[in-house]
Amino acid sequence: MSRFNQLVPPLNFCQVEEGLFRSGQPASFNLPFLSGLNLKTIVWLAVEEPNEAVLRWANDNNLTIYRFGLQEGGAPWDSLRVNCIADALQHIINPANFPILVTCPMGRYRTGTVIGCLRRLQGWTLSSTLEEYRRFIGNKRNRLENELRIEYFETNLVKILEEESRPGWLWV
Amino acid sequence: MTSTNNVEKSKPHRPPALPIVPPLSFQLVVTGVYRSGYPLQINYPMLERLNLKTIIYLGDSTYREETTEWCKTNNITLHHFHSPTVKEPFVSTDPETITEALLILLDKRNYPVLVHSNKGKHRVGVLVGCMRRVLMGWGLAATNAEYGRYSGEKGEADLEFIELFNPKLDYDKEFAPDWLRSQ
Repeated sequence: MSRFNQLVPPLNFCQVEEGLFRSGQPASFNLPFLSGLNLKTIVWLAVEEPNEAVLRWANDNNLTIYRFGLQEGGAPWDSLRVNCIADALQHIINPANFPILVTCPMGRYRTGTVIGCLRRLQGWTLSSTLEEYRRFIGNKRNRLENELRIEYFETNLVKILEEESRPGWLWV
Repeated sequence: MTSTNNVEKSKPHRPPALPIVPPLSFQLVVTGVYRSGYPLQINYPMLERLNLKTIIYLGDSTYREETTEWCKTNNITLHHFHSPTVKEPFVSTDPETITEALLILLDKRNYPVLVHSNKGKHRVGVLVGCMRRVLMGWGLAATNAEYGRYSGEKGEADLEFIELFNPKLDYDKEFAPDWLRSQ
């Protein structure tokens, strides 16, 4: 294979569950890789808009983008609000949106917080949830506030669909 | 939140009764392939929900009798590849081991598969890295970044192995997984 047609997944890309992926904000050179996932939906978790290349690509491929970063008076480095997380999760656990990509600028803090809350919803212990969360932070400074959001996330804020219409990996 | 019939039929979430404890360094690699550290009793309730068909163990320890029993009870086929801890510069990964493990991953009749080592960091990282490169066509930097999420500081020799590994794989196309990128 020529090195010029190698695939380049976005920063911090990872498959979370069947039909669900996470990553940092895609750049134009990630788009051939992402096209292979046949995505239907993007959950965008940031105050700023996604870049032009992503918006154009999403538009050309009829992807739906849900934005959950906006918050009153919020700065890009602020944690996501609890209601933002719950709303995002409501879309993330809906198989009608699959395959779905959860993304934020670096794919670390905001994405990690939402995926962390998803793990809590799945019944994971806090230590295994945070092991996964920290793996994506790497040697960057940890943000305790995000870990607190994950620890105290009230899973009953999320409505769970009937068994036949929820993903097989969401055990309740 | 979108209001659909589905959501109206829904109810507030109640977490599962048993705590879900995945093994160390647990992660989905691609649909049907999981990676982790050594599965312990505390992890069984979680692993049993995955309906695993196959386990690939890369390690030099003897497989525990208790784990072997658990595999039998759950109809899991176990492949143990005796793979030593890499000790730079004299003990390195055996390309034959990785090739054989990849051949198991190239047959979706074996799915779902759990690939594990002791801590799920280095040996599994090499196998997953080779899988990303050889079977999925990922670039090297992205492959190394994923390896590094698990490995911590160690692993230069592993990265070199992943870069140079170029096996000849003789597999049955009929049973190849959907994500395979033809070489």
